[in-house]
Amino acid sequence: MDTQPEVFDTAAHVSCEPCEGVFIVIPAFNEAPAIGAVLSELRTAYPNIVVVDDGSTDGTAQVARTAAAYVLRHAINCGQGAALQTGIEFALQRGAEYIVTFDADGQHRVEDVAALLAPIRSGECDIALGSRFLGQSVGVPPLRRVVLRFGVLFTRLVSRVNLTDAHNGLRAFSRRAAQRINLRLDRMAHATELIDQVRQSGLRFKEVPVQIRYTAYSLRKGQSARGAIRIVLHYLLGRVLQ
Amino acid sequence: MNLFQILAVAAVTGLFCLSLAAMLRGWATRREGLAWAVVWLATGLAILLPDLTTVVAKSLGIHRGADLVLYCTVIVMLVGFFMVYARLRRLRRDVTLLTRHLAIREAAPTSPTQPPPGSPPPANGSQT
Repeated sequence: MDTQPEVFDTAAHVSCEPCEGVFIVIPAFNEAPAIGAVLSELRTAYPNIVVVDDGSTDGTAQVARTAAAYVLRHAINCGQGAALQTGIEFALQRGAEYIVTFDADGQHRVEDVAALLAPIRSGECDIALGSRFLGQSVGVPPLRRVVLRFGVLFTRLVSRVNLTDAHNGLRAFSRRAAQRINLRLDRMAHATELIDQVRQSGLRFKEVPVQIRYTAYSLRKGQSARGAIRIVLHYLLGRVLQ
Repeated sequence: MNLFQILAVAAVTGLFCLSLAAMLRGWATRREGLAWAVVWLATGLAILLPDLTTVVAKSLGIHRGADLVLYCTVIVMLVGFFMVYARLRRLRRDVTLLTRHLAIREAAPTSPTQPPPGSPPPANGSQT
């Protein structure tokens, strides 16, 4: 039962509609060197930024406090999935109409946020997932490409959803969609878990082409091939045990 | 009775008494105390009367008593690992929920940008 998401045209929708109801959720673990630039770029367009500091030890929270509207701090490190869920719940409590998740390491472009929001605002879908492989995929390093392909294949096998990029941190949710999502896998396996929940809840989703800025920093913080194997094991154990 | 049997039986007897004492003093529940007492009793019997395990093994279609003991040990350990792992995961999830609750409750707008007008008042930490 494959669901094939349609391709969405980015260029037509870059202009920003009212951004007050948009909450940007940024999970961050030891991202002090990068998060300042990310926040100062984002806040020009989006006032409601929620940084979830996931127990960082490098002053990420202090940096974030100078530029983000809300800084939430996990007292201990719980993992990216947990941080996302915390930020989403907080944004919902603050009356968010749209929630966008955004990585703290500077790999996403601010202009892609509007492109993700456009199909949700028009009622075309409930969840928009960023994909670096739709449209032009620029500068994806070869090994990273292989690892991500495996991620896509794995998601296709276990979730039976056909995506081009299952592990992109840039995603947008309508309020209704965000309320139905409950990430329980703390660490990186949440990406596949999210797709499972999207499929089971019957929410409409769509992939939107986005570009990833690969820098030496974001590559170092990204998933290695070994990390990917760990994620798969974690996800499978989670399916068995929960 | 060889030296190993003397030492092992002494140790096992001590542990047997300890589990009973733990149960009586309320350090362990009745069920836990009894379960451990039975384990130590069986261990002591197997050490004192090795032929007994062989009799039981034969009745199960295993040739040697030592093999029976080995199989039982492996099964018990694996089940034990799995139970501990499942419990760790539950604990981990509870810790995450607690951490999330605290993070949301203590979130203050530390705000260089003011919250937009017309946004709902700050949640007062009550979880829904």
